Amino acid sequence: MRLADLSKTTSFRLAIAFLALFGLASLTLFAFISWEVKGFLSNRVDEWVQREGKVLSRLDATALAQRLDNRQRDDATTERPITLYDPAGKVLAGSPVPFPAGHDSATAPFEFGHGSHLPMAPFRGLTWRLPTGQTLLVAQSVDELNEFGDVLLGAMLLAGGVTTVLGLVGAILIGAGAVRQLDDITKATRTIVKGDLSGRLPMRGSGDVGRLVAVVNEMLDELQRLMNEVKGVCDNIAHEMRTPLTRLLAGLDRSRRRSSSTADYAESVDEAIAETQGILKTFGALLRISEIEDGARRAGFIDVDLGAIVTDAVEFYEPLADDRNITISALFEGETASSSRGDPSLLFEAFANLIDNAIKFTPAGGSVEVRLVRSGSADVVSVSDSGPGISEADRIMVLKRFYRAEPSRHEPGNGLGLSLVAAIARLHDMDMVIEGPPGCRIVLTRNRSEKASPVEICDF
Amino acid sequence: MTTILVIEDDVQTSREIEAALVDYGYETRTAFTGRDGLVKAISDPYDAIVLDRMLPGDLDGLGVLAALRAAGIHAPVLILSALTAVDERVRGLKAGGDDYLTKPFDFLELTARLDVLLRRRNAPITESVLRAGPLEVDLLTHTVRRHGQLVDLLPREYRLLEYLVRNAGQVVTRTMLFEEIWHYRYDEPTNLIDVHVSKLRRKIDTAGEPSVIQTVRGSGYVLNAAG
Repeated sequence: MRLADLSKTTSFRLAIAFLALFGLASLTLFAFISWEVKGFLSNRVDEWVQREGKVLSRLDATALAQRLDNRQRDDATTERPITLYDPAGKVLAGSPVPFPAGHDSATAPFEFGHGSHLPMAPFRGLTWRLPTGQTLLVAQSVDELNEFGDVLLGAMLLAGGVTTVLGLVGAILIGAGAVRQLDDITKATRTIVKGDLSGRLPMRGSGDVGRLVAVVNEMLDELQRLMNEVKGVCDNIAHEMRTPLTRLLAGLDRSRRRSSSTADYAESVDEAIAETQGILKTFGALLRISEIEDGARRAGFIDVDLGAIVTDAVEFYEPLADDRNITISALFEGETASSSRGDPSLLFEAFANLIDNAIKFTPAGGSVEVRLVRSGSADVVSVSDSGPGISEADRIMVLKRFYRAEPSRHEPGNGLGLSLVAAIARLHDMDMVIEGPPGCRIVLTRNRSEKASPVEICDF
Repeated sequence: MTTILVIEDDVQTSREIEAALVDYGYETRTAFTGRDGLVKAISDPYDAIVLDRMLPGDLDGLGVLAALRAAGIHAPVLILSALTAVDERVRGLKAGGDDYLTKPFDFLELTARLDVLLRRRNAPITESVLRAGPLEVDLLTHTVRRHGQLVDLLPREYRLLEYLVRNAGQVVTRTMLFEEIWHYRYDEPTNLIDVHVSKLRRKIDTAGEPSVIQTVRGSGYVLNAAG
């Protein structure tokens, strides 16, 4: 850790800023107290000087001199000197304090005697010019007052010094802690950036940074899950594409080796085109699932009539059901007309996929029923058939891309139909539940009372 | 001769489209950038324009389309795009496109859609009874007669036949039928259209005679106008 790094940390800078702010506030407080106390004491001196001077100046010259001499005899200290001077400034009586030159006709208390050889100097006092031409000086030493100021200043400097040192040490400690934490986070982040998505940022305490670290770690959990999912999907795609691509390659290779007539070549080309179309269809379905899961299609939602879409889907499949001797019916319960927001093409596709599966797995003579139950609280669309149903173990698996349960392996398809239905259901905030056997019943429920929740990331 | 302008930046794709259109009997011109395409479209009259949605440079497909319409060029435009999202499709059609085809596409699908666009433009249908071979479709009463005999059709079968008769003599693909008759849009769902056409055939064909609706292998159908 370098000092330069330390000075760049927010916590160090904040600590220094608070130290400066606190120092300035303390300085101002000290200055204010000092100014107020000194003013108070000075006023008291002035009051005494004025009061004493007024009384003494009223005495006649002889009594005054007598009073001052007596006072000098009783108390020889010069803490509160009172002196009588002749017109030439020579001490006639009282304390032996030199005449304060330039202040013989003062109207307000003044300070004098700085640098004087007398003890207790400097003084603060006032002079009175007496009718006899003499001058009376009444003063008080302000030495203690100045001493008090010096002590206050000393205390302030000491407190300021200690605060500064403690503040700096505190700032360095806080800054160093932050730098260490940042160093740890940077190190962990670099490891993650290099590709180790299992890495997490170090957690220290529950402060602001701690909270941020927790959120970033949650984000990394989700990213790792998504990356694993993407990897899983990529692996699945690579695996699933091997078979049709091998067929395509084998077909083309065979036509090169064996075809001898234009008709043979044409047949091979037709087979290759059909195989390629199948591959493109699979990619198309994958792209559609991805597009739907992205949630972007929510932007194109309009008011839709689920009843009309169910009717269209059932009608669309009627001829196929007839051909296979399967009874298909649409049943409606509850409110006759209620609209909700959705993408009609996607909803049709979802219902069509479910009906297609139901017809595919229902033996001849069986039945497929599409039911829409509408109430004030929910729309429920269910597609049920009299086929073998989906086993408990397969119910989660059939929602995974490319998974095909055992009975469906020999039916045409790419194993993406139910993944697509699940994605469409999630986009429309529908719960999807698979029930049975006996038979298979897939129920899509859209709760009207719940607010639309954000599209969850597909977990398969 | 019908002349088509192809605005497509990918040289190989552009060549393939041109080859398919020439084989089909159209005359073609090509532009590789939006700006060049716009200049060509304004300089010479074209019967239709095949426009790639994503073009390099400052003028993409939608920009070209907007500029064309602003310049008063109303030739039908078929947009080609690798962007499959529905809102992209809607944006393309809202910008003035007449149809939208996503890549990769079947060339027969491309020519079939161009045919429909050109027919819609060249011959607006005003009469109330359509005739194709032995069939008569009454647009007002929604009834169909074959050799004057009333044929009993379900509503969806009527809609299917009407569309085929309107485009008699030209190929219509399964996707086009699905979009036009059922009005839902997504990649061709299943081969269910075949089942619907098969049901329709059983009702309008006469035993021992060739079907009025011919299957075009791997792509769609064509209604034989000559009967």
